[in-house]
Amino acid sequence: MNLLREALPDFSWWRSVDFQREAVAGFTGALLVIPQAITFAYLAGVAPEYGLYCAVFVGFLASFFGNSPMVGGPNTSVSILLGLTVLPFAGRGSPLYTEFVLALSLMVGLIQLCIWLLRGAELFRYFSPAAIAGIKVGVGVLLITSAVESALGLSPMTTKFFYEKFYIALVAWQDLVNPYAATISGVTIAAGLLLKKRWPRSYIIAAVLIGSLIGGMVYGLLGPVQSQLELLGHVTLQALPLNLPRLGPQHWLFMEQAAPQAIAIAVLGLAQSLVIARDLKANVVRNLDLHKEVFSQGLSNALSPFFSTFAGSGSFNRTSVALEIGARTPLAGIIAAFSVVLIASALGPLLTWLPMPVIAGVMALVGIGMIQGNEIRPLRNRVDGPVFLITALTVIFLSLEVGILVAVAVSVGFFVASVSRVKLSVSRDGDEERIVVTGNLFYASLDRLAKHLHSDPTARTVLDLSRVPYCDAEAQNMIRKIHAERARHGGRLEIAPPA
Amino acid sequence: MTKEALAILGILVLLADSPAALARPTIEELKARAVLDDYESNVVFGYNIVMQTNRYARRYAGSGLSCTSCHLKGGTQPDGFPLNVAGVYPKWRAKNGVRNGIGLRIRDCFLYSLNGVMPPEEAAEVQAVAAYINYLSEGEVIGRPPKGWGVPTLPDTGADPNPPRGQAVYKRECAVCHGANGEGSNAVPPVWGINSYNAGAGLSSVQRLAGFIWANMPMGKERSLSHQEALDVAAFINLQHRPFDPREGALKKLAERIYSRVTSSFGKANP
Repeated sequence: MNLLREALPDFSWWRSVDFQREAVAGFTGALLVIPQAITFAYLAGVAPEYGLYCAVFVGFLASFFGNSPMVGGPNTSVSILLGLTVLPFAGRGSPLYTEFVLALSLMVGLIQLCIWLLRGAELFRYFSPAAIAGIKVGVGVLLITSAVESALGLSPMTTKFFYEKFYIALVAWQDLVNPYAATISGVTIAAGLLLKKRWPRSYIIAAVLIGSLIGGMVYGLLGPVQSQLELLGHVTLQALPLNLPRLGPQHWLFMEQAAPQAIAIAVLGLAQSLVIARDLKANVVRNLDLHKEVFSQGLSNALSPFFSTFAGSGSFNRTSVALEIGARTPLAGIIAAFSVVLIASALGPLLTWLPMPVIAGVMALVGIGMIQGNEIRPLRNRVDGPVFLITALTVIFLSLEVGILVAVAVSVGFFVASVSRVKLSVSRDGDEERIVVTGNLFYASLDRLAKHLHSDPTARTVLDLSRVPYCDAEAQNMIRKIHAERARHGGRLEIAPPA
Repeated sequence: MTKEALAILGILVLLADSPAALARPTIEELKARAVLDDYESNVVFGYNIVMQTNRYARRYAGSGLSCTSCHLKGGTQPDGFPLNVAGVYPKWRAKNGVRNGIGLRIRDCFLYSLNGVMPPEEAAEVQAVAAYINYLSEGEVIGRPPKGWGVPTLPDTGADPNPPRGQAVYKRECAVCHGANGEGSNAVPPVWGINSYNAGAGLSSVQRLAGFIWANMPMGKERSLSHQEALDVAAFINLQHRPFDPREGALKKLAERIYSRVTSSFGKANP
């Protein structure tokens, strides 16, 4: 019954909706998502249409079945992981590659639906925000790194560590770097950084416009041969790009081998969505149902290949923009999805001439945005700092999948460590000792108290357990034993009566 | 025992050597297979692009033409720009003054003949067409041009190409399919106008177009035109309006045109 309630769309927000604010938020979101969608399709290695379809259909389904103003659609880390997972199995951009991306998206969605059935939202409660911040910073670095080739007009290269690309480009810039591409991406990034203070919400759109203007001038004056500029090419949108994902023997083989990565993508997508949802629940929408969000994410991703697109997740930056403008209900996301269709179709012919260095500039700007801002704050905290650093460094130097596993392990580890920390404050009152215990008493956290109580069997001690929320059988046994021991040696152990 | 084993081995060797086992599978056979390896799936994708460029390589295609509009029958027609040319590349070309690998050659076709967007070297579309060219080139001698490479060069007729006479030939022989205004139709490629190849394409050379027309047109009555007629009609077609050569930037071209317009009007005002 509960499951059914979560699985059906809920329109209870309809009564309290402010149409104008939601529409403005949705439309702005659509403008924002178009350059990002094209960029993320490039990251996933598929045609730009797929990114736009992701913004439309995954965004729409996630909002329609969800119950929050969270904006879904193409997501940086999910796109990077989709591309990295499929790359060893097929040539980037070929039909088989695209089919594999769709099959992987289907698998990701189904895994997320399984997580929903297993009540997995509870698990993500323990996913530390510091780990998510670490992943975001790591992905920001990955994003800037993957923008390098397009930004400088290099041919794609594979390097072990991110800084090698910068080194190669720096050392051999005279032979490798296309000065026109570098100028256009440089102008785009500089414009974005300069305008960010003035228009913190829409600076990327302004940067794209300025970059395209410069790119159009260069291309128009020099022509394609002299400038060697790479253009986006035709983007043809269909109103309803229905598609039956192909699942032949090759696809099954691929899905079998890519299952671990699919789990990592599913977990990462949900982790991001649920961190956003948790924030929303704390600050904006009090009656937000996390399980319902898991369901809507899983369903939209599982259905994504049927609309010729790939998996996505909730978006940090687009959700925060929508909230700033005043979105409070899923209507903003639904309006955004429809606006994307309108704007992208209207822009269609112009998008053809969009220089790829501008897209690379957008990638770098999004990456810088992920690194900047309040992400670095956890560094000052004693527990969050290490979690943040370990995850970020793992993502940057090893890989995103490993980073996710490390993030889970580290957040659980530090959570357990913080739970099992017990504070003992000892005060003396004549020859009687009073110990106030703060923290959970269980098998893992007992040793300090036990050591202290065992040290002098003749002492007289009063234990104040009023600040112990949980005390397991092991702890009770220990207290009973010490009580008996003290009685034999003439000491005493009492538990303070509740105040 | 060993005799039997040897016999089986012999049969296996024979089977492996027989032409039936060696012959490359046709595209239809490849399409019917359940599982294709990377090369084969790339070949099929390349074939689809060559046959329906606007559908399968929509991102970079530009005009109403497909590859097969000039590379007749999917690039399998000798004297009709056949595509079994993998052994010829890399090759220096005067057009861009560098050694062209097959990738750059294909990208040039997208830019000029298809009047589209030049795809990057690593684009899946370029790789697929290259794989299809390799597939067609099976059995050719590496480093030697295949039989019927390109189009025949017509011998000197002793007369210059005459566009007005070419117009008459066009009306008589070509307009039935290609339309009175060269606009073509669904199955027939446009030969001039906004949807045709641009002024930088190989076919915008009268000599080459004449060779193509003489050897392949009108379809079903190939080689029925005289050499002079082919030259005339080629000159007529290439005098018609078509997209400009993209080697010059559009803005620059526009600026030049405005400049010349302004200077010529000044010249009239102050004789």
